[in-house]
Amino acid sequence: MSDAFSPIERFARGLLLGFILIWSVAPILFIVSSSFKRQVDIFVYPPKIVFIPTFDNYLKLTSQWQDFFTSMGNSLIAAIGATVLAGIVSFFGGYAYSRYRSRITAWSAVYMIAVRVLPPIVVTLPLFPVADRLGLGDTHLLLILLYATFWVSLNTMIMKNFFDQIPYELDEAAYVDGASEWQLVSQILARLTLQGMTAGSIFVFVFSWNEYLFAMIFTTNQAKTAPLILSELMGAVDGTEWGVLFAGVSLQLLPVVLLVTLARRYLIAGLTAGAVKG
Amino acid sequence: MHSRPCLTTWLYLSPLHLLLLAMLTVPSLYVFWLSLNGSSYGTGLTWVGLENYRAVFDDPYFWRAALNTFLVVNGVVYVELLFGLALAALFVSGVPFRGVMFACILMPYAISEVVAVLVWKMMMDPNIGAIARTIEELGLGRVNWSASPSTGLVLVGVINIWTHLPFTFLMIYAGLLAIDGSLYEAARIDGASRWQRFLRITLPLLIPTLLITLIFRLIFAFRMFSEVWLLTKGGPARLSEVLAVYLYQHGFRYGDFGMAAATGWLMVLGSLLLASVFLFAMQRGMKGGE
Repeated sequence: MSDAFSPIERFARGLLLGFILIWSVAPILFIVSSSFKRQVDIFVYPPKIVFIPTFDNYLKLTSQWQDFFTSMGNSLIAAIGATVLAGIVSFFGGYAYSRYRSRITAWSAVYMIAVRVLPPIVVTLPLFPVADRLGLGDTHLLLILLYATFWVSLNTMIMKNFFDQIPYELDEAAYVDGASEWQLVSQILARLTLQGMTAGSIFVFVFSWNEYLFAMIFTTNQAKTAPLILSELMGAVDGTEWGVLFAGVSLQLLPVVLLVTLARRYLIAGLTAGAVKG
Repeated sequence: MHSRPCLTTWLYLSPLHLLLLAMLTVPSLYVFWLSLNGSSYGTGLTWVGLENYRAVFDDPYFWRAALNTFLVVNGVVYVELLFGLALAALFVSGVPFRGVMFACILMPYAISEVVAVLVWKMMMDPNIGAIARTIEELGLGRVNWSASPSTGLVLVGVINIWTHLPFTFLMIYAGLLAIDGSLYEAARIDGASRWQRFLRITLPLLIPTLLITLIFRLIFAFRMFSEVWLLTKGGPARLSEVLAVYLYQHGFRYGDFGMAAATGWLMVLGSLLLASVFLFAMQRGMKGGE
């Protein structure tokens, strides 16, 4: 094995790996562990690694910050709504782009990706007065539409790649057996592209769950999401409530951190389909 | 095997394109119209021609925001590309506990910008932050990161790298996996060292991936808003604004939708310019058989 790493190389590799691990995980561990600390222990320097956990912060959170739980509900509605809408829309879009091809479909696909690069803040200007007039301001529906819009392009590319992997002979066999196109798409192909739908759904869900800009501009009360409430609390807390804020932050981040780490296989599939091969 | 599009094809595509049209394309084009008018929060338009653009270009704060955006975007993107490449190469050549390591590195990808700003602001606080206090203990001085525009923007850059490194890493990692392993086998038999193989095989074959990753990250960093807004609000004295914050201030704080729209349209053009390389390559791919 002439290809083994020399001791210096091994040391450098270990150093890089250790650094990247601490860099990625330490901030998250800091928040989550602080949420179980007593107020006086949170900012002790050097940080206490061993401590007796307390659930006081979480109890305080449930008794004093009702708004936070309402906002978690709003985030959940917006995220699920956007995921479902984007999923359905890109399923059909991906099918069409995979099975039909002409100069017009090629250009419409390029257009689909091109609009995806527009900065979100730009569309807030014209949508602000319109949403107001249509009574869509401060509603879940508006957030759902916005979040889905910003992800249908990538999702459609992901779905197209998954459809591309299903041989066209399967379509033909179904037609020979007398299936209609609708039956083929909604029954046979839907089942075969579940992986792609999962990959796309994770992106939309995580993005919508965490989104800040649209929520800040378009919600004022009824549809306020959790990141927005957290950002307001962040500015408002005084010395005694950091632990409670950290408890809220931990509840907000843990579900999606688990989702991303458990479903990392799908993330890779989605990113490679959506961008590298695109 | 591809069929020619027929009526049902367009039915399948219509929800997708209706959504894009209503929420993105028409609003973006309407921004151009807004930028040629004066208005109060987008209503009661009065034609002013290119007056808004003149006002934007005459505004020193706009140029400050443009410069800040340029500096932060470039600082962030190249550091990320370098780290992402090193990390991806490390993973491809094998690391212990691969699954767990992978999961750890992906974690920041799941964190909201709000939370990322909160925790970094916390750790960098000169009085209570663990990192800031460590820097002080090491004798490197006491820095109030959020107080001056330059250190504020450095912290914005750090937060940006923290949240987006997983994306850059994943893109490059996927690109590395796609390289044909037999090439390395052949090079090894010919006696090429590991470093030679990296320079002569990996890097040249990885250039398309690196370019696409670079363009994606440039586009996404260019629209940066939340980190700056939550950390410094563009201050002190509007000196740490980036373009998106400048737009927000004029539109939603000062109620000057005309100037905001002019800034917005300039950002649209900037993004499309950045994306044109990728879109050109993609259009050729979609039209061809493969």
